[in-house]
Amino acid sequence: MSLIEDTEPRTLIDELLAEQQQLTAVERFSRKHERDALPAQSRYYRELIPLSKPMLGEQYAFGVDLDICTGCKACVSACHSLNGLDDDEIWRNIGLVHGGTVEEPYQQTVTTACHHCVDPACLLGCPVRAYEKDADTGIVRHLDDQCIGCQYCVLKCPYDVPKYSEKRGIVRKCDMCHGRLSVGEAPACVQACPSGAITIRIVSKWEAVASSPEGSHLLPGAFDSSYTKPTTVFTTRRSIPANARPGDERALRLEHAHWPLIGMLVLTQLAAGIYLAAAGLAIWNAPLFEAVKAPLAVTAFLILNLGLGVSVLHLGRPLGAWRAFLGLRTSWMSREIFAFSFFAAPAAGFAAASLWDFATGSFPKLHRFEMFGNPAHLAAPFAIATAALGLIGVFCSAMIYVDTRRAFWSRELTFTKFFGTTFLLGAAGVVALLAWIVVPIPALSLVAILATVATLIRAALFGWEFTGFQQALQDPAHLHHRPALLAWTFQQPLLYARIALFAGAISLGLVPILQAGPIAACCATLAFLLTFVSQVIERFSFFTTVVAPRMPGPLVPETPTHA
Amino acid sequence: MKAITARAANLIRAWDGPLTKDLVQAPGEFGLGKVPERLKPDDTTTMVCGFCSTGCGLNIHLKDGQAINLSADTFYPVNLGMACPKGWEALTPLQADDRATTPLLRNERGVLEPVDWERALVLFCERFKDIQRRHGPESVAWLGTGQICTEELAFLGSLGKFGMGMIHGDGNTRQCMATAVTAYKQSFGFDAPPYTYQDFEESDVIVLVGSNLCIAHPIMWQRVMRNRNRPEIIVIDPRKTETAMAATQHYAIAPKSDLTLLYGIANIIIASGCLDRDYIRAHTNGFAEFAEFVTPYTTDAVAAATGLTAEELWRLAQTISDGKRVSFWWTMGVNQGHEATRTAQAIINLALMTGNMGRPGTGANSITGQCNAMGSRLFSNTTNLLGGHDFLNAADREKVARILGIEESRIPRQNSLAYDQIVQGIADGKIKGLWIVATNTSHSWINHNAFNELTKNLEFLVVQDMYSTTETAQRADLVLPAAGWGEKEGTFINSERRIGLLKRVARAPGQALSDFNIFKLIAQYWGCGEMFRAWTSPESAFQILKHLSQGQPCDISGIADYHMIDECGGVQWPWTSSEPPPQQRRLFEDGCFYHEDGRARFIFEKPREVPEPTDTEFPFILLTGRGTSSQWHTQTRTGKSDVLRRLYPSAVYVEINPIDAKRLGLVPQSQVVVSSRRGQVEATAVVTTTVQAGQVFMPMHYANVNQLTFPSVDPYSRQPNYKSCAVKVDPA
Repeated sequence: MSLIEDTEPRTLIDELLAEQQQLTAVERFSRKHERDALPAQSRYYRELIPLSKPMLGEQYAFGVDLDICTGCKACVSACHSLNGLDDDEIWRNIGLVHGGTVEEPYQQTVTTACHHCVDPACLLGCPVRAYEKDADTGIVRHLDDQCIGCQYCVLKCPYDVPKYSEKRGIVRKCDMCHGRLSVGEAPACVQACPSGAITIRIVSKWEAVASSPEGSHLLPGAFDSSYTKPTTVFTTRRSIPANARPGDERALRLEHAHWPLIGMLVLTQLAAGIYLAAAGLAIWNAPLFEAVKAPLAVTAFLILNLGLGVSVLHLGRPLGAWRAFLGLRTSWMSREIFAFSFFAAPAAGFAAASLWDFATGSFPKLHRFEMFGNPAHLAAPFAIATAALGLIGVFCSAMIYVDTRRAFWSRELTFTKFFGTTFLLGAAGVVALLAWIVVPIPALSLVAILATVATLIRAALFGWEFTGFQQALQDPAHLHHRPALLAWTFQQPLLYARIALFAGAISLGLVPILQAGPIAACCATLAFLLTFVSQVIERFSFFTTVVAPRMPGPLVPETPTHA
Repeated sequence: MKAITARAANLIRAWDGPLTKDLVQAPGEFGLGKVPERLKPDDTTTMVCGFCSTGCGLNIHLKDGQAINLSADTFYPVNLGMACPKGWEALTPLQADDRATTPLLRNERGVLEPVDWERALVLFCERFKDIQRRHGPESVAWLGTGQICTEELAFLGSLGKFGMGMIHGDGNTRQCMATAVTAYKQSFGFDAPPYTYQDFEESDVIVLVGSNLCIAHPIMWQRVMRNRNRPEIIVIDPRKTETAMAATQHYAIAPKSDLTLLYGIANIIIASGCLDRDYIRAHTNGFAEFAEFVTPYTTDAVAAATGLTAEELWRLAQTISDGKRVSFWWTMGVNQGHEATRTAQAIINLALMTGNMGRPGTGANSITGQCNAMGSRLFSNTTNLLGGHDFLNAADREKVARILGIEESRIPRQNSLAYDQIVQGIADGKIKGLWIVATNTSHSWINHNAFNELTKNLEFLVVQDMYSTTETAQRADLVLPAAGWGEKEGTFINSERRIGLLKRVARAPGQALSDFNIFKLIAQYWGCGEMFRAWTSPESAFQILKHLSQGQPCDISGIADYHMIDECGGVQWPWTSSEPPPQQRRLFEDGCFYHEDGRARFIFEKPREVPEPTDTEFPFILLTGRGTSSQWHTQTRTGKSDVLRRLYPSAVYVEINPIDAKRLGLVPQSQVVVSSRRGQVEATAVVTTTVQAGQVFMPMHYANVNQLTFPSVDPYSRQPNYKSCAVKVDPA
């Protein structure tokens, strides 16, 4: 059999298919370079990088000569290839600033990467200190193995520099090719710019700070430089017209929804709200507190832990989250993680204390542990401590977003939304819970009072939000016009859904004010669920319609990284 | 102990670990500097890039003979260590999932299904032979390309015409370079771009007509930026392009008023006497008639036609007159026009009359489009008989037949139909079989809805391509899977006539074969294998081409072999000596042109109306062109790179002036419908002052743009006029 195969003549097709698989370049054309030769390209980039290292108070910075950047994008590609980045990963961007008049049109392409800021917002926000501002070079480096993938730096950076990799569960960013610079080689982008528009300079950190006063910008449309003190130096001999704006200024772009964060925020705020109601009762009406503490403590504890559990889904590498204490000094993310960890401890105590009497009822042997008195008496102090820590947790949550300095996440809007949600869901949640419990008459009036409170908060919050939205939508100069326009353009069904949810919750919420019984309990529960969904949508818009600041982008949005 | 402390420290703050290692760099050696450690090569080799005609040298990083990465080659005389994003990403499109890996045949259900090469080749021959038997040999034609190697183009042309008996074959170079070819032939006596890239660095005045060099040829722009003479850079373009922004003077003329402008400038220069009369007398013919001809192109008339002011016209003429070394460069803004050949010649006339020819930093220089358009121009056996010869010339036929060892009678005594005439031939029922090689007609052809409708008239359509997913391959009856750049050997010829080398550094997927080997197989199955006995490999074919070029202006008989091309960093034609050539050479240094009398000719003609002027129904002029430097033509390759895709808009857009946008009530970034009499396209409106009122711009890379363009051609070059048609814009 094999004999036949061996003697069968190979056809021309077989021959050519075999030949096609031979790699012949090495064999046919040997390379002249010596193996240890110095970088050949250095003859062209030698003048583009400094001869010396930065001295004390100095650092490396990118220099970009706008007059010779023509937007060829070689820097982006070369950075990708020479750094071995993932297929769709880029560390540099090309944008456009345009304007002028019909007679005197103006457009300027802009190459940008990390600005290796003096006050890097990414670094200050990182909960696990996965960023390091190199003491010698000033390069802001990212420690990939330290990163837990919380993506807070993505929100913190006003230049959209750190990019999250779904595949790796971490963020990566430009490191100014620090390895190349350390041996006298130029960064990939500097090597590759056909016109030499990108250079590495040594700048004084003081000057970088001095040239970043409040209201200064690297380029038209770029974020206020006083926030992070970026070091990149853009130069041009042409005058930039006063009306020059980023090419993508009018582009409508929804941001990432961050579903685990939506879940975490709404659930933890609900839990904090319930604890707040419990603490109020403990202070003002001890007997009533005693009557309802167990269901409140258990429900809130479950909700809190569900919220915290959901938040873990947000992390690319949750196993490293224990390092979150490292960032306490500067990071609101660290502080939030900490606050919620502490929040959970008294919450557990409150639940245990509330259930103590039930537990000892079933397992009398537990009485042996009552050497310091009956733990059930600790329920009230635990409730008050939990409520206080809950409020601190909600405060830290809000500060996470406020600290990004995004306009739509301003102090006013964020605090109102987060604490509004806390009070509203707390009141509505407690009403829904207690309406089912058969308790003495005073509890009924408690339900009615809380239902009234919930209705007032619901109406006030809704009114505040929707008048604000309308004003913002109608006035193009309004600070929050873009988020409103985004919602109006892409999320109209959600806007109408919220109106419907509000109407439903308001009407159903009136029932427990007026009467008690199973119908009222059903209505209260339904009102709570509608309110909960409404707040989830509110938080969805909070994340998706925020305008994320970035360097000027191209006229037409490029293919997005993720939907 | 130290190690334990270090590990503990790393536990708290991980400076190292698997994720960090992903980005670790190591010295690449081979003169590369640092490279990603996991992509460290064990060898390197240089080859010419396969996208545009700049012809950059790319340094391929090899591991076990296989390409794993690349960087721009520092020593290549074209690009001096630089590349555009397409060049940096040149290897990526080879890995695409939609590579054609086996021949594909359309089955009775209309679906393309894999077949083996044997069946594909038998069928290829049977079907085409059957069509030829029934309708005559000229009923089968081919449409070729400027994207495959010169040796392959010559093989295709020889196989088609001498082996298979076809009469008609043309290439997609008709869409980009035919005008320059015709203009040079008529003016100089041969299709001969006279320059070398060094001229960009040596001019004191650089005039760019219809060329967005920054975006279309970034590495040539690099050479402009290396010019140390502080040159005046003049851009003549209706749009304020990136290049216009970077220029020192921009003349935003009315679309297609370029010919009038150039005559007007000639008139001012002649009137002012700033001529090189010695040069005109010694080396040209027809100047007196030309000078007489341009007298009606007064400043006022030209200002009215172009939309420029008289002062602007004088300044432009003055700058050209004042220049000691003026170089004129043009690209598709000129070539793709309804009177393109005369426009190119009007540029040539300016260079001739000011004596800006044959000296460093001068010339009337056409910048080519595709990587091997020049190879196609010289050796594709379509418009010219192999090696710039003439099908109508008996001596030329005799010479070619002798060198190829074939009977002279096998060489057609008539010229091929041009691309548009082949398409018309399909409409007229004269062309029944079509073989399309490495081009995407269904996307790129002007008014392509009409072409796509016509493919139904074809009895057999064969598409030979790297990808089975191109708009054209999707219409084929038979798809032949081709190996691409990097998977085969051969040569390209760039804009400055430099012959560069391709090497085999990647394995073709599945059963894909180099175009050369596909032609070899077809020759055998057709029954004319004997005729191509000597074409054993691309390099042996190169030796045949050398013989064919002997005695021609493009004589390359001095190039010994591929090794010499490799050693020299490419070799510009002509080269007849056995010595290694200098790296920068230009033509006409002796003032001798290729016409029999050795003189260049002034050629001119009255401008004509645009074929489709705007009117009240279609009030906008549609300009088309390249969008970004990360996009190449119909995107069959650049669309396969994630990085390149991130660097251009995913969907088609239209640029419109703020005045027009306001009048139409268009909000920036809103959706609009752009319609012409031939089709309509939905696009995103981009409001920008860089296009003038009454004009809109759309990039050609998106498949639907050529549904709008008006099918007209320049009468001499038969190159389509992509740069002007009438459209309207409505909110979607």
